Amino acid sequence: MGSLSVVEAVTVDVLVGWLSAFRDAVHEHGAYLTELDSAIGDADHGANLIRGMDAVMAAVASPPEATGDLLKKVGMTLVTSVGGASGPLYGTFFLRMATASGDATSLDGPALLAGLEAGLEGIVARGKAEAGDKTMYDALAPALAAFSSSLDGGASLADAARAAAGAAAAGRDATEPMLALKGRASYLGERSIGHIDPGAASSALLLDSLAGALS
Amino acid sequence: MIGIVVVSHSPALAEAAVALADEMVHGSGPVVAVAAGAAGGFGTDATEVRRALEKASSPDGVLVLMDLGSAVLSAELALELGPIDVPVRLSAAPLVEGLVAAVVRAAGGADLDTVSREAEAALVPKVTSLAEHATPPAALVPAGESDASVRLTLVNPQGLHARPAAQIATAVGGLSADVAVEAGGRRADASSSLELMTLGAGQGVEITVSAVGADAAQAVAAVREMVEAGFGELEAS
Repeated sequence: MGSLSVVEAVTVDVLVGWLSAFRDAVHEHGAYLTELDSAIGDADHGANLIRGMDAVMAAVASPPEATGDLLKKVGMTLVTSVGGASGPLYGTFFLRMATASGDATSLDGPALLAGLEAGLEGIVARGKAEAGDKTMYDALAPALAAFSSSLDGGASLADAARAAAGAAAAGRDATEPMLALKGRASYLGERSIGHIDPGAASSALLLDSLAGALS
Repeated sequence: MIGIVVVSHSPALAEAAVALADEMVHGSGPVVAVAAGAAGGFGTDATEVRRALEKASSPDGVLVLMDLGSAVLSAELALELGPIDVPVRLSAAPLVEGLVAAVVRAAGGADLDTVSREAEAALVPKVTSLAEHATPPAALVPAGESDASVRLTLVNPQGLHARPAAQIATAVGGLSADVAVEAGGRRADASSSLELMTLGAGQGVEITVSAVGADAAQAVAAVREMVEAGFGELEAS
């Protein structure tokens, strides 16, 4: 692939680029994520994801050939290194995406979407979250819907990922007036209103990183 | 004898709970394996839970007791990380009371179902003995002294289930008013979605919404609008 060509096949290298961009993003926005979490949680979301993504990048320094093997390594590393609820949630996301991706050495648009959707289903199964509960679901679900409809409309992978990132950011912002119904924030009841959900914020970074890696 | 796994955010909390339970059986109890802490701090790690499940594994089954939220997520994920060839039950029991009850019952040779039931019922003695100290209900709008009130009929199919209750709590939570919802002779603080759900008010039930405070009229109007719109759950006609 020439350096100027558009990404149309998501290889292991592209996935590693995504993860690397996400690692950089959680470093850059770690203080912001922790600040959001200090308002409605236990003030560790930024630090947890920084630790987790640093561990992930160390674990994939010599990446396996199959996308599924890579994503499984990512999921297991997050599970063992993150600690907070985002460990099992992001861990489940990547583990389910790994199962969906299997032995494939590269993923086309529909295969990438299928993997992301399997990951989101995993988060739903794990966290029992629904739309409007003020969780990462509220960023991820509209993002994947946008990704899907963009691909259906004939958009390139890069454009579909950009649409997904935009929808994730809008979904993140929409969590601000919501009442938290899941996780530690739900203990706060109405005091959770008026704060952006930290998990939705980090999920928006994950999608923004994907758009960057596919552009 | 069944095995027991304790999943906690804190190794110190888990070890102490296990020691407390062991005092009841003096070392003759079940294997209790601990998965606690993550990455050197508070947290839980599904792979540690997995190791604990293997350590406590018994053909009679394993009961898993957990502390806060993500301990549950990690325990559920641990079950997903690969097949486990013995029955495993994740218990909704409170950690300390449940563990003591479970260890005692398991030591007596009870099966997984029995130990699990015993653990889940472990709060009953405390609740019963403290009944006279039960927390009084939140201060509510005194009946008949509200600044604004309205009687409404729930038209949406499920009534005040979780999501409508949350919608009401969200709407009144930001207002300068104390708002009560009354149904079937019971009153709930409208800013608490949990209290609203305990009213058990289904479709067709009449509720009274009353409020006191500067925003009382606005609060009552907001609830009225949501109730009459069926909380967005009505089929478009």
